[in-house]
Amino acid sequence: MSFFSHKKNQIWLGIVSCLMLIDLYFILFVTPIHPEQQWAQRIFYFHVPTAWTGFLAYFLVMIGGILFLWKKDQKWDNFGLASAEIGTLFTALVLVTGPIWAKPVWGHAWTWEPRLTTTLILFLIFVGYFMLRAYGGHPERVSRYAAALGIIAFADVPIIFISVKFWLPEFQSHPQVEMNKQAPEYLYPFLFSLFVFTMVYLIMLRYRMHILNLKNKALSE
Amino acid sequence: MFLTLLKKDLLLELRSKEIVISMLTFGVTVILTFAFSFNVSSDIMSTFAPGLFWIMILFISVLGLQRSFAYEKEFDAYSLMLTSPVDRGLIFLSKWMSGTIFLIITECAVALPFVLFLQLTIDINMLHLCAVIILADLGIMVGGSLVSGLAMRAKMSAVLLPILMFPIVSPVLIAAVKATIGLLNNDPYVYWQLWIRIMGSFTVIFALIGYTLYDHISEE
Repeated sequence: MSFFSHKKNQIWLGIVSCLMLIDLYFILFVTPIHPEQQWAQRIFYFHVPTAWTGFLAYFLVMIGGILFLWKKDQKWDNFGLASAEIGTLFTALVLVTGPIWAKPVWGHAWTWEPRLTTTLILFLIFVGYFMLRAYGGHPERVSRYAAALGIIAFADVPIIFISVKFWLPEFQSHPQVEMNKQAPEYLYPFLFSLFVFTMVYLIMLRYRMHILNLKNKALSE
Repeated sequence: MFLTLLKKDLLLELRSKEIVISMLTFGVTVILTFAFSFNVSSDIMSTFAPGLFWIMILFISVLGLQRSFAYEKEFDAYSLMLTSPVDRGLIFLSKWMSGTIFLIITECAVALPFVLFLQLTIDINMLHLCAVIILADLGIMVGGSLVSGLAMRAKMSAVLLPILMFPIVSPVLIAAVKATIGLLNNDPYVYWQLWIRIMGSFTVIFALIGYTLYDHISEE
């Protein structure tokens, strides 16, 4: 039986799809309209979970990189690549949804807010990561270089964040820092959304890793 | 062994002078484009000067790194070096140090045309300025050498190096500009010490990462 028609995979895919639909229903119809930010606030149930998933994915690229350099097992390289691809997709969504929220609330589509700027820099590093993967030369060597770059990129995150934070200290931070102090009608859908996006990431990772394994097997035969 | 590797890089450059001359010429060309692009009073230019200076340094460091690592590709010298019983981390440290030395030499030569062509007046403690510049150079080159090691054997190494290096060293660029502004405004050290700490932390962290990773990425 193939991976895609395997009962367990189909059940998981069904569960995550249902969770995503429930999440969308909550965001659009259940959560109350914020008195100050009105409809713009609703993008936070989407924007913050994508940002969380993007950073989680990049963190796991680093873990995959360390394990690949240590164990020299191809599966960790596939894990790193799959996680980097999904992470970049989610980071791109953060960079799109951030300005959509910022325009009505701050009056500008783009501000050099520390988290948004760090996300942009990380996104650019990972665009370079895929270029290195594509043009790096010998595949075995490229896997090692990509693992190293995944480690370097995530190790750079705290330094980038601190330097951008103090670069323009007058810029306000995102309001989601205070999310845990919000009323339950805002907080619970937000936490549910975080959970659902993490599940989406995990299922995407599982499928993508399987495809990469198949690709490697076909190339080696 | 570190000193031998460093001496090899310095001797090569002493004979050819290829890296420093190309960095210097490119630096002067960049200053010229700045002078043509910003036709403003010297007061306004002074405000932009720290940013322009570090943009120029970033550009010329890319050129220097490309040349420095291109030496290693000629006659496949890099592969030969890897087959010798040398700690790979030391190859990284020697590349970092030689790159920083070339950059400092270039800066000494390029500083005069920078001040002259952009009609700047600088009245500050030169020793402090030199210390900030050397620290930033170490930061830029540690990130640059690490990325060069990854990109040098890629098909598009010339394109990959700046694409990977600029975002990675962006904290050093921010910190270098801010510290230089603090110095030029004669602000007390306490106002800009954070930037020195950021550059220092970046340099130490990336030197350790580079030393550790080079052992893994430099396998044949």
